[in-house]
Amino acid sequence: MSVEKSSKAARGTVQCDNSSFSLLKANDFMAENIRKTVKEKNILLINITSSAGSGKTTLMQETAKRLKDKLKMKVLVGDLETERDADRIKEAGVEALQIVTGGICHLEAQMVWQAMDQIDLEGVDLLFVENVGNLVCPASFDLGEDYRVTLIATTEGDDKPKKYPRMFLTSDLMLVSKCDLLPYLPFTVEAVTKDARDINPDLEVMEIASTSGQGIDEWCNWLLAKVKEKQEAKAVTA
Amino acid sequence: MHEISLVRNIFNTLEDEFSKEDLDRLTGIDLKVGLLANVEPTLMQNAFEAVTETENKFLKAKLSINVVPILVECPLCGDVAEVKNYLFQCGNGHPTNNVIQGEELLIERVHFQED
Ligand SMILES: Nc1nc2c(ncn2[C@@H]2O[C@H](COP(=O)(O)OP(=O)(O)O)[C@@H](O)[C@H]2O)c(=O)[nH]1
Ligand SMILES: [Mg+2]
Ligand SMILES: [Zn+2]
Repeated sequence: MSVEKSSKAARGTVQCDNSSFSLLKANDFMAENIRKTVKEKNILLINITSSAGSGKTTLMQETAKRLKDKLKMKVLVGDLETERDADRIKEAGVEALQIVTGGICHLEAQMVWQAMDQIDLEGVDLLFVENVGNLVCPASFDLGEDYRVTLIATTEGDDKPKKYPRMFLTSDLMLVSKCDLLPYLPFTVEAVTKDARDINPDLEVMEIASTSGQGIDEWCNWLLAKVKEKQEAKAVTA
Repeated sequence: MHEISLVRNIFNTLEDEFSKEDLDRLTGIDLKVGLLANVEPTLMQNAFEAVTETENKFLKAKLSINVVPILVECPLCGDVAEVKNYLFQCGNGHPTNNVIQGEELLIERVHFQED
């Protein structure tokens, strides 16, 4: 039961309905706007999440280098205070815009919506949002993305997924990053995959190392296939 | 953590749904929070106290947090089961990520003075 503001004074206990009393209502509303906009404009939107330092920006740089001649890619990057990551991505040859969250530990759909207004989206095929580095808060905020991709580095624990179940539950693809370091660490891809798939049996898994280039072709081919898939689906319904 | 922004969302939601006169008579807010919502009840209580004091609002209201477990419904056999130890499967052992409870983050009930 939703109570009209004009109705007579509320007394006693009021039972609330789920949709208008969800604390994520405002975010989810903006996320739907984003989803509609990127669909109309034929843009694939990817939300990249991980703990701080797992290699998101480095992956954006490598992805930009390989894909910039094949399609039009742009990056929005969330950061607590600085503009450094956007500069690194621009050096790789694609447009990047920093979303400074001013201390907020996650991006909300509203912030992405405002940032999308500040860049030219005409002709863009692939838009990345590099989220703030943390696996807790960003998990709860839908940004209207087509796919959520989570990095977990070999320098982290391979039992990490179960500590952050919501993130792995809501992700479509897990990239095991810094795989060049595997020989030196106790981390195994099998263990992290099992931990993550206990939560999300549908999760896709790929191994990458941005520094050596391992797995980056496979990742880029995955992206190209998803861009194509979305554009073809749009062409059919148009 | 995002507790402070969640508390502000509680306030905004209540202000959207109820009049100022009603809210002056608010005595309690019951939240329903899924185990997957990444909300730490103690931190939420602290955030609630901090925000009510700084904004000088809803000072009489008591916050209760009802944490509910994660339930999955199996698309294969229809079984509904509670997820334990973050092993997402039904009672018959079929893996599934079809969560039907555990992600909620909502105001379930609000209480006002009776008179
Ligand atoms: N060994 C190794 N180091 C990497 C790799 N990718 C990133 N790094 C390093 O990890 C650190 C953090 O990377 P960054 O991309 O800034 O992480 P972000 O915080 O997730 O954006 C930097 O010092 C990178 O050079 C990789 O594939 N292998
Ligand atoms: Mg970064
Ligand atoms: Zn089953």
